[in-house]
Amino acid sequence: MNVTVFGATGVVGRALVPLLAEHELTAVSRTARDEPGARWVVADAASGEGVAAALEHADVVYYLVHSLGARDFEEQDRAAAEAVAREAASAGVRQIVYLGGLGADDPDASPHLRSRRETGERLASAGVPVTTLRAAMIVGKGSAAFETILGLVKRLPVMLTPSWVSTPTQPIALDDVARYLAGVCGLEAAYGEGYDTGGPEVMTYRQMIERIAALLGRKPTIVEVPVLTPYLSSLWLNLVTPVNASVARPLVEGLRNPTIAREERIRKLLPLELTPFDEAARQALA
Amino acid sequence: MTGWETSERVLESGGFESRQRVLVPEPVVEASEAGARTLGVTYWQAVDRFTRGGVRASWTGGGGRLKLLGGATLLTFGPPELSFGDGLVSCRHAIQGGLLAIRAGGSVTLAQRPEGEQQELSVTVEEYLPRLAARAGAPPWTGMLYAKGQSPFHAAVSRRYFELLLRSRDS
Repeated sequence: MNVTVFGATGVVGRALVPLLAEHELTAVSRTARDEPGARWVVADAASGEGVAAALEHADVVYYLVHSLGARDFEEQDRAAAEAVAREAASAGVRQIVYLGGLGADDPDASPHLRSRRETGERLASAGVPVTTLRAAMIVGKGSAAFETILGLVKRLPVMLTPSWVSTPTQPIALDDVARYLAGVCGLEAAYGEGYDTGGPEVMTYRQMIERIAALLGRKPTIVEVPVLTPYLSSLWLNLVTPVNASVARPLVEGLRNPTIAREERIRKLLPLELTPFDEAARQALA
Repeated sequence: MTGWETSERVLESGGFESRQRVLVPEPVVEASEAGARTLGVTYWQAVDRFTRGGVRASWTGGGGRLKLLGGATLLTFGPPELSFGDGLVSCRHAIQGGLLAIRAGGSVTLAQRPEGEQQELSVTVEEYLPRLAARAGAPPWTGMLYAKGQSPFHAAVSRRYFELLLRSRDS
């Protein structure tokens, strides 16, 4: 099969590309690259430039693009998804695979999560069947959410945190997300379907912080402050972690809502053994 | 959503039983561990949203707490006991204490079960010992805070919970 991956140089894209080695692979990047394992093409989903060429002969398209960090990320994400959906339909693509966010279907979802949902809807708008996998925090090196937590753990012996750190979530290992994404490639049963891809454990962000800290041999003191707003939290994160405030704020706003799997159909469709959180975190820290 | 019912009674043990339910045409959650957990998590979200964040669920490794304005602990709960099978999907939390309980005891169970051609969604509190209710033999007015405050509040939260479950399914 001919497979095109948008966002091939991102955290998830890099984990996914090697798993698609059996296919004729086109990897899309915004800047010129020449790495083994794929035909690299330059395209920009946001502007639409090069998208048609990247989709030529494609049977399956992976859409792993987001504009988190941009001031108007919601608008940019909508426009990019529409451009790819339109060109995919013209090119006769049979399936678009999209990685969305768990909790995005919540009617009161944060702007970031709402944008993930809208992106999925726009991708489906031109008639190509979309397979949506929804994930909470991805535990892997370079994942913005994971790096935020890691930054806090590494730098702060005492943390003032918003009360939302007590919200339950279901983080999943980067490798597991990549295996699920690769598993639905060309799978007709998954056309037009959405799946929650939760990790094997449900925990709060506070528990996550404590477990990552334990892996690093630290024991931070965590004090929940009910008045810490997402805006103040993002400024704080900008100050003490490597994550930019414009990225941190949408992520922090998303902490209000539980991000857990509501169903487990993916586990029947692709019965993979999932990586325990500690193991995934250990790999990310290596 | 039809068939809204709410009822409350005092058991022989002295504990309170409160039950709210509605009927829906189709299952709202999947019969799985994830579905059962969704019932519980959505209920705590309903508490948060009904009170506009005034009462918030806070999770720990062993269970959860309902905290007033992020401070006083109103109720503490044990970890979720999830079950599913034979059409029943449920999430039960043991009540372990807090300002609104005389002592540990009782439980709250969120469930979905077949009811004829439809599905029943329910919230059941059993064997709960509310601190604000009138004690046995005491004049009824001593339980006014429970009867006119906590009890209708709980029923209203349950209704909000059912609405939230349906909204999240439909979205």
